[in-house]
Amino acid sequence: MTPVLHGISILTDSPTVVSARAGALEFLLANHALDCPVCDKAGECELQDMVHKYGPHKGRHTEKKFKFHEKDYALSPVIIKNSNRCVQCIKCARVCREVVGVNVLAAIGRGDHQEETSFFKTQLDCDHCGNCIEVCPVGCFMRLPYRYKARPWDLKGADTVCAYCATGCRMVMEHRDGTVLRARAQYGVGVNSETLCARGRFGFDYINSPERLTTPHVNRYGKLEAATWVEAFDYIKESLMGVSGDEFGGIVSPRYTNEEAYLFQKLVRDVFKSANVDSTSRWEASGVEAFAAAAGMNEGGVSVFDCMEADTVVVIGAQISDENPVTDYIIRRISAARKMNVIIVSPRAMKLDSSANLLLRVAPGAEGAVLNAVALSLVPDKTGGYAQTADIAKDMIDALVAKLKASASVAIIAGTEFLRHPESCAGLGFLKDSLKSSGKKVLILPALDRCNQRGVWEMGAHPGFGPGYAGVEKRGKGTHEMLEAAMDGGITSMYAAGVDIVSMFPDAQFAQKALMRLKFLIVQDTFMTETAKMAHVVLPGATFAEKEGFYTNQEGRAQIIRSLLPPPGKAKRDFDVIKAVGEIFDTGFGPKNPALALDEMRKTNPMYRDASLAFNNKRNVDNKLDIKAALVKAADAAPPSVKCAPAAIAPKDDKYQFALMTGNHLFHSGMLSKRSVSLTGLLNSAVVEICPEDAVFYGLKPGAKVIVKGAHYEAVMTLTVRPGSKRGVAFIAENYQDCPVNRFFKKGAGTPQVAIRPCS
Amino acid sequence: MDKVLLKKLGDPEAHKIDNYVKAGGYKALGMALKMPPDNIIQAVKDSGLRGRGGAGFSTGLKWSFIPKDPTIKKFLCCNADEGEPGTFKDRGIIDWDPHLLIEGMIIASYAIGAAKSYIYIRGEFALGAARLDAAIKEAYAKGYLGPNVMGTGFNHDMFVHRGFGAYICGEETALLESIEGFRAQPRKKPPFPALAGLYSKPTVINNVETLSCIPAIIERGAKWFSSIGPEKSPGPKIFCVSGHVKKPGLYELPMGTTLREIIFNHAGGMLTEKPLKAVIPGGVSAPMLTEKDLDTSMDFDSLAAKGTMLGSGAVVVMDSSACMVKTAYIINRFFSHESCGKCTPCRDGTPWLTNILMRLEHGEGKQGDVELLEGLCANIFGRTFCPLGDGAVMALRGALKNFRNEFEYHAKTGRCLG
Amino acid sequence: MEDGKKGLDIFGLIKSVLFTDFVKGLVITLGYNVSRSITLRYPDTEKWIPYRRWRGMHTLNKDANGRELCVACELCSRACPTQCITVIPMEDATGRGIADRVAKVWKVDLVRCLFCGFCEDACPTTAVRLGREYELACHDLSCTVKEREGLLKPQPVPESFEGGVVVGARFVRTPGGISVVADLSKSRKRAL
Repeated sequence: MTPVLHGISILTDSPTVVSARAGALEFLLANHALDCPVCDKAGECELQDMVHKYGPHKGRHTEKKFKFHEKDYALSPVIIKNSNRCVQCIKCARVCREVVGVNVLAAIGRGDHQEETSFFKTQLDCDHCGNCIEVCPVGCFMRLPYRYKARPWDLKGADTVCAYCATGCRMVMEHRDGTVLRARAQYGVGVNSETLCARGRFGFDYINSPERLTTPHVNRYGKLEAATWVEAFDYIKESLMGVSGDEFGGIVSPRYTNEEAYLFQKLVRDVFKSANVDSTSRWEASGVEAFAAAAGMNEGGVSVFDCMEADTVVVIGAQISDENPVTDYIIRRISAARKMNVIIVSPRAMKLDSSANLLLRVAPGAEGAVLNAVALSLVPDKTGGYAQTADIAKDMIDALVAKLKASASVAIIAGTEFLRHPESCAGLGFLKDSLKSSGKKVLILPALDRCNQRGVWEMGAHPGFGPGYAGVEKRGKGTHEMLEAAMDGGITSMYAAGVDIVSMFPDAQFAQKALMRLKFLIVQDTFMTETAKMAHVVLPGATFAEKEGFYTNQEGRAQIIRSLLPPPGKAKRDFDVIKAVGEIFDTGFGPKNPALALDEMRKTNPMYRDASLAFNNKRNVDNKLDIKAALVKAADAAPPSVKCAPAAIAPKDDKYQFALMTGNHLFHSGMLSKRSVSLTGLLNSAVVEICPEDAVFYGLKPGAKVIVKGAHYEAVMTLTVRPGSKRGVAFIAENYQDCPVNRFFKKGAGTPQVAIRPCS
Repeated sequence: MDKVLLKKLGDPEAHKIDNYVKAGGYKALGMALKMPPDNIIQAVKDSGLRGRGGAGFSTGLKWSFIPKDPTIKKFLCCNADEGEPGTFKDRGIIDWDPHLLIEGMIIASYAIGAAKSYIYIRGEFALGAARLDAAIKEAYAKGYLGPNVMGTGFNHDMFVHRGFGAYICGEETALLESIEGFRAQPRKKPPFPALAGLYSKPTVINNVETLSCIPAIIERGAKWFSSIGPEKSPGPKIFCVSGHVKKPGLYELPMGTTLREIIFNHAGGMLTEKPLKAVIPGGVSAPMLTEKDLDTSMDFDSLAAKGTMLGSGAVVVMDSSACMVKTAYIINRFFSHESCGKCTPCRDGTPWLTNILMRLEHGEGKQGDVELLEGLCANIFGRTFCPLGDGAVMALRGALKNFRNEFEYHAKTGRCLG
Repeated sequence: MEDGKKGLDIFGLIKSVLFTDFVKGLVITLGYNVSRSITLRYPDTEKWIPYRRWRGMHTLNKDANGRELCVACELCSRACPTQCITVIPMEDATGRGIADRVAKVWKVDLVRCLFCGFCEDACPTTAVRLGREYELACHDLSCTVKEREGLLKPQPVPESFEGGVVVGARFVRTPGGISVVADLSKSRKRAL
């Protein structure tokens, strides 16, 4: 090992180097299985390439090779292992420990018998992220779903962005003859570099699902039947002719591209002359405004790497390890490399806790109260605002305040709990202001769980603001108000583009009843969702792999997605569908294609005027993962300030011991991932998660079936425990079809309470 | 010369602290604790003591690299992971005279300012580990360890860490990894342990024999020490003589004693009538010498001049009945079994060498095998983090240099020469 | 030469009187009457079996235990200059092939194939060989694409057969088509 010194000259192709390199490669091949014809890595194998380039082209090794095992063995439902090909670089174990943080891979044995695998070679109980596969230079770790399906040269790929959470990981999707076979990340491309999570790496197979909608469906005599586009459009025309203004409402999916969201809000606002446009069925429109204002989303994009340069990073209201796994990797990697504080405030334990130097376990929805208390302590005169945070110890708040006081810059990563409990947003805004007033640099990064949630808001798909947070003449109705209006007949027609209201609205019964009352419901989706089953017209749309456009991730980074395949059957790209629906009523409706939409958007929306899309699909030189030119700029307007009243607190009922939390599971995102065979293979049926102390206290066995009973719904599911979570908190992810968590919710009743008892 | 290191060898009661103190033990510690630490380092430097673990680096110089800043934690590690075939000198000290080592370690810790020290002992040394544990307990009870050592205000804690049978743990950075609880694999150097060693803190790692010399240096003075043996590498040295000699065993002799004197005067000469064929002078990784080199002085520099090394001082004597191919095979098998797996040339190269040697030994050699061995040696040597791979190659190269005809005969006929 | 032209052509005269040219021609004609015929009575009774080096229709080989040698590495389709080979691999742990990777689809479009033998060279397991089947004409394009199942069947002329001979044959007309069945036991060198 030679330290680099000034004036040192480094030779990379001297005879010594050449012979040493060839010698090392010869040694690597000596104990390598050399079963390239069978190996899935052949064709893109680093060892192959190296030997081809530098290696000895004649082997001298004639001895018997050591074999670890005869047959490949699966380490997880998505990872398969062949140790005979291992070159002992231990990258897998390092990425597992240092980046992903699950630490389940390590080397056993010594010398040439050293094998990087799980403890006792058992099935891994890990994140199944497959980053070990990505870093493996040879075919030692391999994708099980991709096993023996193709050669790298068979695959046609397109650079795109993962469409699950809003981290905005860049990846390459590859297909062979129309079947998407794999998604992989590239070293030095995108914020994620070569890391992805289980969802991104394995959750793409819903694209080729046989359940995909391939033709439009029209409700004839109470039954949905396949129809042609012409029939569907005719039906829309005759049903919606004359409907306009407040009778109409539209909801667009946060997984639609910016162009589509922009066109959709134009359709609702300009064609139907309605102010009722929203982009999510999960949270209230006023909460979105409060969050956007508190997080300063109108002030332009905030890079996660800038956040990680702060002295203190506070992760609050975000189950970041489960909802945004790659953001979690970034935080872990950077916080280990430099001296900084990582503070986590959350009710549930998470993987990132190991990187934190201060943990605050708070009750669900108490984030705002904590932030208020912290902000009050920062302002010198007003100490004593602790009364409202009875739940959290004063010394913890003091420790947090001490760390904040000692930092010159603070980054707050604020997650979706602020949207579920919008009253918390006031605390976030308050803390931001008080930190600013004490002269600290503050960055707030919203951590969102849908790939283009931020983008669709910035495109104006919101009742309270238009594109670029510009004010609207008349405030429209959000999803909640729309459904209320549908109940009493104020809204007669709705257009749900890509949203599954029935499965996601936090009160499933209410949503179902409200939608039943509609005279006309258009649903545009890729699958026959619960909402689509209630529709009058179902229009088949496209997945992210089948369209062109761009997404804005949680940081406000605009990133292009590229089309990999044409939509299946008669399905169309969502942009074309929305445009066609608009053209029924206004032949001049446009822009006519995504490129024109981008032009128009750039002209009207100051946030996107200068946001560069140029770097996309290019390898970042000198491994700079963070290209600031792609971040959106500040808007001219700010979201209207809304005061969110605290949600009604359900009276404490002794029958129910647990407060119910929800969010996304690590392996799932919304209802879309349930269509992926690989992801459902990792987790299929519903689980309820509590802390081990509660399990012992209530006599519940982890892994056993339990009955979860709420005031409105009861379901049987499997119990899991998560050490370190707060007591009295039960978590059920929003992703299970067998027991939709939104049925536990009652509109306006706040956080539901549940009881858990063993299944007899 | 009166014995310094092995004077208690064979005395079944010597390991007890009372007997040790009675014989003048812990006197040096008392003296040392009255000296300023820098003077101790200077004394050790003046004595010319060189590390007995194999590399022969000046001990005083090593200690002087440790930062003097008292706010930085420092550690002392004693390398008692004696695993090289033919070497059994440290066991002689640990089993029979554990307090000598402990006293040396306390003085060394005081000199470098370490509040904690570790003895990394080979897992197989059950008796040694038990004796050390007991001795440390006794030392605590008598106030030689723990807070306020001998009333001087110096605090020191000592721990015994048992290894688990990996030769690589004798490599200093792998030893540190092992103490920290990781896989024992060498670290990259620099930074050297003197700057970032155990838990990334400045650390001195010394061999048992080295540390056991310290009390004598303090007690009798550096001048006395440097008067023993040659000027460049003075002091007493334990030689572990094994192989075809009449009296194999441990011999404490001054540095610079010739091989001939060790074998024929002390070890009683050759076992049988058969003439001496080869001698490994310093553990199996040292290239072997032949009859004509017997008058070489056994010290670091003279052996280095002969292309071999003093190493641990393990003298393995072989008479004419020994087949050099088999010897090389056994030595290489040891190294390939003990390779930790970090560096490719050693991990994949040593098993390859072993396989070829095994074929040669079993009479399945091929034309060109000897050249292949040489080619592989060139690809391993100097291309690994630690000296394990180098050791394997040096041993094999030594055998090839002196007895190439035997290897070629094996390759050609499949039988031993003569 | 000048003299010869001017002088009387006595030899020419004698030749024409004795009909020597006619006799010469007759000798050749009569000679063919008694010499061995070089015409191949193909397809009715004879058939030419080419040498081993002949590159005809593909064949997929099996090892001594009857396991498929093909591991579906796709190198043949990669090496093919006309992209006429399609390979889709799959996993099969039942021992169908020598490895757990076998071909789900292995097909060759013989109309596009130019019988260059690159696939044979590329094959790491000697699974694909260009065999000695050359009667590839058929009535519609569908039969020009040969699938794995058919190619795995042993070809009528085994690898061990030397070739370069004419063998006895029988012309067979079946409802499925026509074929010329060779009888390898009767062979003769082809006269040239």
